[in-house]
This record gives sequence, C-alpha cells and structure tokens, in this order.
Amino acid sequence: MRTEVGSPRPFGGLRAFLWTEALVQAHEELAMATSMVVQGVLLVFVWILNPALIGVALLGAVIFSMFTMGQRVLNEAAYIRIDHKANELYLAGPLTAEGYFLGLSSGILLVYVGPVIAVGILADLVVHLTALELGVLVLLAGVVWVCAASIGYTLSTAFRDNRAIWAYSSLFFNVFGVLPPVFYPLDLFPSALRPIVLLMPPSAAASILQTMIGAAHPTPGQLDLAVVGLAVEVVALFLFAVLWARRTARER
Amino acid sequence: MSDLALRAVDLRKTYVTKGSPSVNALAGVTMDVRRGERLALLGRNGAGKTTFLRIASTLLRPSSGTIEVFGVDVDRHPERVRPYIAVVPQEGKPFFHLTPREQIYTYLRARGFGRETARTRTEESIQRMGLAECADRLAITLSGGQRQRTMVATVIATQAPLLFLDEPTIGMDPFARRSVWESLRELTRRGSTIVLTTHYLDEADALSQRLYIIERGHVIVSGTAEDLKRSVGGTLKVQLPQGAAAVELFRSFGACVIDGEAVTVIVAPERLGELMGVAVGQHLTATVGPVTLEEAFLNVVGRSIDED
Repeated sequence: MRTEVGSPRPFGGLRAFLWTEALVQAHEELAMATSMVVQGVLLVFVWILNPALIGVALLGAVIFSMFTMGQRVLNEAAYIRIDHKANELYLAGPLTAEGYFLGLSSGILLVYVGPVIAVGILADLVVHLTALELGVLVLLAGVVWVCAASIGYTLSTAFRDNRAIWAYSSLFFNVFGVLPPVFYPLDLFPSALRPIVLLMPPSAAASILQTMIGAAHPTPGQLDLAVVGLAVEVVALFLFAVLWARRTARER
Repeated sequence: MSDLALRAVDLRKTYVTKGSPSVNALAGVTMDVRRGERLALLGRNGAGKTTFLRIASTLLRPSSGTIEVFGVDVDRHPERVRPYIAVVPQEGKPFFHLTPREQIYTYLRARGFGRETARTRTEESIQRMGLAECADRLAITLSGGQRQRTMVATVIATQAPLLFLDEPTIGMDPFARRSVWESLRELTRRGSTIVLTTHYLDEADALSQRLYIIERGHVIVSGTAEDLKRSVGGTLKVQLPQGAAAVELFRSFGACVIDGEAVTVIVAPERLGELMGVAVGQHLTATVGPVTLEEAFLNVVGRSIDED
C-alpha cells in the first residue's frame, strides 16, 4: 500500500470538480429557463419608459447577469455543505479547497453563461461595439463574475440553516445589482453619491462600459476610481476567497 | 515510515459557542490504529465518535493533543494527509442531480484518477454495492438506503489507504449491510485501513478486529469484541421474562440486569444446568443464548447504546 505523503498542487482538482458541478447544474432545467427573468423584466421596463437607453440596459443586463451568478454560488455552496455534506466528502481528500471553490463557481458559470452571451450579442447588435469595446465587455463581465463568485462563496460559509439562504442571498445580489447605475446611465445618479457606486463592482463595470459607448460622462477622477477600484477589488476578493476557502475547509 | 495508520495522544476538543456553555466533546482520547486494521468506535449519541473522526479526517481542528495519520501530523499538515484518506460523512448524501454512476466517476476524477481507472473502479464499486439496477437513475429518485449505498460505493471506490466511515450502513437493509461489510473486509485484505463508527453492535462484532468504546469524550475500554464479551463474566446469557422478583436467587451465577419484570443473567456454560434447575423450581420460563456485544456494552457503559 502506497502511503508516501506529499502536498497537492494549488487548485488541484479544479477541472474535475468544475465538470461535476456543471453536470449537477445541467439537470436544473427550470432554474436555467428562469435565469434571465429579472433581467428580461427590467429590459422591458426600459424599452417602455425610454427606448433610447436600451443599449445601456442591455450592457447592464450582461453585467447584472454575471453578478447574480454569485448568488447561485452562494446558494449552491451553502446547500451542498449543509444538506449533503459534500464539502466533507470532497475536502477530506486530494481536491484542494480553492479547487472546490473555483470548480463549483466555474461549473455554475459554464451552465448559465449561454443566455448571457445571447444578451451580449443583442447588445452588440444594438450598440455596434468595436472589437476593442467587445473585448472590454468580456473582460469586465469576467471581472464582475470573479468578484461575485468570491463574495458568494465567502458568504455561503456563514449560513447554518438552508431556510435563511434564499431570502438573504437574493436580497444582497439584487440590491447591489439593480439599485446602483447598472441598467441606467451613471449621469442619472446623484453626483455626490457617485464615488460610492463606482466602488461597487457591478456599477463600476457598467459605468466603464457606459463611458466607452458615450452614454455616461464621469470626470477623469471618477473613471480612475472605477477602473482602479475594480482592479483592486477583483484581486483582493479573489485572494480572500481562496484563503477563506482554505481556512474553512477545517472547522475550528 | 510509521507502522501505525493513525495515532492519537491525549486528543481534546472543546466546542465554545457564544451564549452557550462549552461542551467537552473529547476529553483526552489516546488510541492507535494499525495498518490494514478494521477498527470500530462505539458510543452513545454525543459520546465524541464523530468529533474524533472529523479531527482525524482533517475537517475539524482539535483543542489540544496530537494526532498523526501515517506519521504525519494532521493538525499541522492536513494537506499532506488528505490524499491518503477518504470519508463517508455522517448523514452525507450524493448529489441529487447525479446518478450513482456519475457520482462515483466524477468523485474519482476530482480525486485525480485517470479516466480509465475511474471508469473501471466505478463499475466495480457499482457491482460490489449492488447498485447496478439504479446506477443510471438520478439520486433524487433513489431510496434512502440506495443513496447511502451510493455514498459508501463512492468512497470505497477510492481504495484509499485510510478510510473513515461515520455510520456507513445507517438506513440500509440487512443484505446491503452485509455487502458493505464484505467490501470493507476486501479493502483491508488489499491493505487499506478502516475506521468506522456504528450504532449497530452486531456490525461492530462482525466487522471490527478491534474496537474502542467512547463515553463522554473518554475511551473507557478497548480491545477485541471477544475480549469485551468475556469481560462480562460469562459467555451465555439467560433471559427470564418474569424473573426480576426472584433475582436474589440468581446473583451467585453472575451479573444480573433487571429490566422491568425481566432479568438477564450472565453465566458460565458449566453452571448453566444448575441455573436452569433454579429457574424451573421457580416455574420461570427461560431463553438461553450467547452473550453479545449488547450485554458487554451495557456492562461497561451502564446504559444501552441507544439511550441518550
């Protein structure tokens, strides 16, 4: 019997756990079918109230969709830990804690990203993005997803009861994804409060996109705040989530 | 390289929760498990068995004491221990939206097995655990016993050097339990070490080569099931359903346990005839059988394993 001991490499098992989670999520047809309902409703409101803003709203829908993936990560991570003890099954083994966190998040992304791409294509048809602008959209969508998944996984470890998850998780992600200027231009938001929303990942990303297409006109300082803030946040949140995943792999 | 698969010395765990009194789940547990051994941890609910298993399997930090797996300190280097262990968690469930075949295969892949090995072991494990008929049904449609079998099949398929199983046969029918027992015996024949907790004393008797009884966070006895049964003072038990009123007549034969109107007397085989003579003289009916781990547990702990 081989019993030489060694450390697994960082993020070991990520890819295999990604496929596990994707396979699990792929059976959730109803959740997939309803994944864009909120975004759809908001787009209809914008279309009725001010059709000129539909381009901004479509770009916002992409960002919002990526942000609310964090809610799915939160729900799933808490549910399989509390109800299935999946964390105990998987983490008492070679799968690394960060591989578990990122595999779970990426599996969810893989299954739910299809409709988001469709909205992105629609946005491109309406706004006529250049290749560079399209690249920025994809990059910012990815950055927002990393932030959301990191927040979602970290928050999931705080829950001890499944009944509490659904109420609080949707509250968090919907408030931060809808209230700030994500579906509407930054210019319509009170200027005194703009620094606050420019430090929130979804509204910072949306504001950068709006500036890029000429739908928002922040001061250079405000734009710098959005860009630098988002860069710092994505790195800090991801590193914190990795360290937190490692720390919470063992209870104290 | 250590000859021991697991070694714990003075292991303690105190749960501290704000606003609630502290709970001493483990109060200085010392034990060792040899390589290739099947060891059972017995104890009532809350005795500390699961806490011990969770510490040993790197899922919970101890308050103090040391614990090593294959000579590696679990608390200091959990990442070096994890590749060599696998765990069936207490009340764990497979993913509801995976089939048993998918569950086992994807779990093996997540542990780093190649596709071919994962496929072969998945099929072996499905056959061994009698899951062939439901291997392609989503776990959400399976019975509780089938789900539990899927969990055990998932972990057994790893053939990890050290397996921890927390109440692995809970909810299973007798046939399924026996499949699990045989699979675990086969694994130890191949060199794996098994540590399991169970509430079924017949399971501990049939399966374990050694056992530890834990009560209120302390190990109160260890040894083989036979050692434990011998410690009761006889190898036969005589159950007298109406014998409690005449218990004084039986005390000289061995330990007597009164339960309502009934009394159970533990007796050596050579004194059985004499005892039966007394019972007949009192017009009492009697049933004779071998002493089981149940009586031994009762004798050592003073309470039944099912008593909270």
